[in-house]
Amino acid sequence: MTHSNIARIVVLVLLIAAPLVQPNAYWVHVFSLALIGVILAFSQQLLVGMAGIVSLGQGAFYGIGAYTAASLSIAYKLPFLLAILIGGLLAGASSLLLVPIVRLKGSSLAVATLGFAIIVHLVMMNEDWLTGGSIGLMDIPHPTLFGLPVGGETAFYYVCLAVAALVFLTFDRIAHSRFGRALTAMSQDEEAARASGVAISLYKSKCFLIAAIASGIAGGLYAYHSQYLNPNDFSFQKSIDILMMVIIGGIGSLPGAALGAAIVVLVPEVLRSSGEFRLILFGVMVIVLAGTGNRGLAGVITDLVKYAIARWWHKPAPTTAAARVS
Amino acid sequence: MTPLLDVSGLTRHFGGLVAVNDVALEIAPGSVHGLIGPNGAGKTTMLNMVSGHLSSSSGWIRFERELITKTPVDVRARLGIRRTFQNLKLFREMTVLENIMVGMHGQTQCEIWHALLRTPRQKAEEAAIAEQARKALDFVGLLHLAEMPAGSLPYGSQRLVEIARAIVASPKLLLLDEPAAGLNGAESKKMVGLIRAIRDSGVTILLVEHHMDVVMPACDTITVLNYGKRLANGTPAQIREHPEVIKAYLGGGVKRRPKADQPKAAEAAHAAS
Amino acid sequence: MTIDQFVQTMLGGLAIGCIYSLIALGISMIIRATDILHFAQGEMLMVGSMVGLSAYWMRDLPFPIVLLFGIIGGGLISTVVELVVYRTLRMQRVALINIMIATIGVSIVLQNVARLVWGSEPLGYPSLFDSKGIVVAGFAVSPQLLWIVILSALIMGTLILFFRYTRLGIAMQAAAQDPDVARLMGINVDRTTTYTFAVAGMMAGAAGVLLGSLFFASFNMGFITGIKAFVAATLGGLGSVAGAMIGGLIFGLIETFSGMLISTAYKDAVGMVVLILILLLMPNGLLTRAGREV
Repeated sequence: MTHSNIARIVVLVLLIAAPLVQPNAYWVHVFSLALIGVILAFSQQLLVGMAGIVSLGQGAFYGIGAYTAASLSIAYKLPFLLAILIGGLLAGASSLLLVPIVRLKGSSLAVATLGFAIIVHLVMMNEDWLTGGSIGLMDIPHPTLFGLPVGGETAFYYVCLAVAALVFLTFDRIAHSRFGRALTAMSQDEEAARASGVAISLYKSKCFLIAAIASGIAGGLYAYHSQYLNPNDFSFQKSIDILMMVIIGGIGSLPGAALGAAIVVLVPEVLRSSGEFRLILFGVMVIVLAGTGNRGLAGVITDLVKYAIARWWHKPAPTTAAARVS
Repeated sequence: MTPLLDVSGLTRHFGGLVAVNDVALEIAPGSVHGLIGPNGAGKTTMLNMVSGHLSSSSGWIRFERELITKTPVDVRARLGIRRTFQNLKLFREMTVLENIMVGMHGQTQCEIWHALLRTPRQKAEEAAIAEQARKALDFVGLLHLAEMPAGSLPYGSQRLVEIARAIVASPKLLLLDEPAAGLNGAESKKMVGLIRAIRDSGVTILLVEHHMDVVMPACDTITVLNYGKRLANGTPAQIREHPEVIKAYLGGGVKRRPKADQPKAAEAAHAAS
Repeated sequence: MTIDQFVQTMLGGLAIGCIYSLIALGISMIIRATDILHFAQGEMLMVGSMVGLSAYWMRDLPFPIVLLFGIIGGGLISTVVELVVYRTLRMQRVALINIMIATIGVSIVLQNVARLVWGSEPLGYPSLFDSKGIVVAGFAVSPQLLWIVILSALIMGTLILFFRYTRLGIAMQAAAQDPDVARLMGINVDRTTTYTFAVAGMMAGAAGVLLGSLFFASFNMGFITGIKAFVAATLGGLGSVAGAMIGGLIFGLIETFSGMLISTAYKDAVGMVVLILILLLMPNGLLTRAGREV
């Protein structure tokens, strides 16, 4: 068994144990929210870390997934998993609207996705018949799985954990495939990738599609999690939050993205006791973590672990090739 | 014999400037064709139009009798036209082996869902890609560096990685853009050998190069460009004696190294193998 | 739409456009000098607005002095942030995208500090001069809007003169265009970068007072305005100072007219659609990043 597999199992066991260690319903609720954030961060990591696309529009797909799942559940009493799945697919379908803009580069593409997010947010704000407008959508039913109610925060937490783990496995396999290799190549030199036969615009569009599906699924989970949707949950600020998760955790690493998401969601909660200072502290943390370099917190931790191992065993730290999606 | 690449009337404007003006080019399969000329003669522009990185203003390009003038770069790559770049374009943070594996992209098919399900076909394809990439690396003599990040290699080795990436998928036509730029005398000699070896493996080559000590021994035929126009066409021996060419080069365009003794092709091939 | 309405809307659009121009200018200057997308530029506007208002509260100051306080407030906070945060990050050679995230961090900090200091309720602003309508060339116009346009034009004019005719202004331009050459010519690029942030902050501070006088001041007024100004700067061509001015005006006009003609709710959407179209059709914005003018 490889080191990374051991690490994965350890993390999974810790995550399974989390609601047992901290059974307080409020905290389990927050943990679920963090897992939803983890899925969002994975979707952003696919774009930024693998394909080198900075998207400021993931919040929009998140919202589309959330509203779709909620509406289907309220109006047609669709089962929980099906509603979430359709939410993800519809978010994916809406990402096809970005096809004309994928040929833009760098910050132009980022700004265009931001424009998309702002437009989607305005639709959520103003189309009352569809989204309930600024009042929002209320009375989203409790989720049921195969006819059984997913009772309580802990059960829902495990659903979120299962989905997040599934998304992790999916993206991890993508990273280590011909497709993932082409994305990484594209992010490092577009011309050379094209000359090797990579259809750049098609691959960027596929990347947006997959990321949008994942974000949409996260949105569906969120709808059942909060049972109330407000357009401001999906403003462009959300898109920026999602990008922030990846940068803080470390560009290019899926575990890093998960760590970043946990920080962005949990730290403001942990700091709640410090009252009005909590967001100030959070801002300072963002600045400091952004200063840790491209590999983010994941990079810092990896370095520390390597250093510790080297000290304990009195042998040089193993040097690996580039730190990429692992 | 029908030419592998057949270019006619190819022209490219940049604003008011005509970088390439009504140039014709024919490359016979299995040959090394050189494209030379003083600085600014339009050699790289020409190569970029053949690879598809630049669109042409007028004229047409045929590859295996098919018209490809408007075909996108990645499609040309899948048809079997591969290239290297004058300013190295490696995927710097990927390993050398991964760089070469990307070179197989256009010739492999597995889709995302194959990877998600880890189908036998995907496993087989990945193994084949890696195997092929190792062979290509071995061919250019860099197998021992396979796991290094490409960006960490010395300059000369990076050039070889680019070439390996371009030939890994057994292209029909290889476009080399100044492969000897920045190489020292010994490395240039090896490059000549490598070019001949690639040709002998069945790849047709279009070579853009400044250095006569690479062009003359490496090429079977040569086209000379000057101010975007075709000046001459022929074997290296014919070109060397061509009065127009001599005149154009007396203006001072040929770069010769201090020790510019013409290496014999056979000797160079030996050095590379 | 009557001619009278048209003139009113036009003036309203120009006024808000001038405010966007002032912020977009700073965003463009910073991009050109450092390649940093400065997400906290809107917070400089907010701080300027708040400082101006506080000055007005302490003593019933005339508007030009309030404006001056806003300019100083915006300039000071921008300089402090540059010296404490961005310069440190640049010295550590942190990747650009990380610095971009750090600017979001700065934005979070400034917003919440402002909330602590000035509270979370919107604060009323003294109106700019007399709010009674005046008649110009046969049209009734709001002097409020007219003054905003005039004052913005004055400020931007001063900035252009500063870039054209002062040693520091020319040095800042040179450093932004080619830092290496500028260094060889004895220009202290670190210092000109700091001045760039200072000037950008001053512009935003002025915009804050003008925007406040039009609506109100609040701790969260900056972020959205900053994003819009960023879009305006992209419209004009990121990195082009003249482009930022024109982009701001165009964005203001588009927003106001589409609010009037299409729907108030979707006025921002129209701006975004125009932005995406311009990015697709003119990838470098209306004015390319020539940077030689102004």
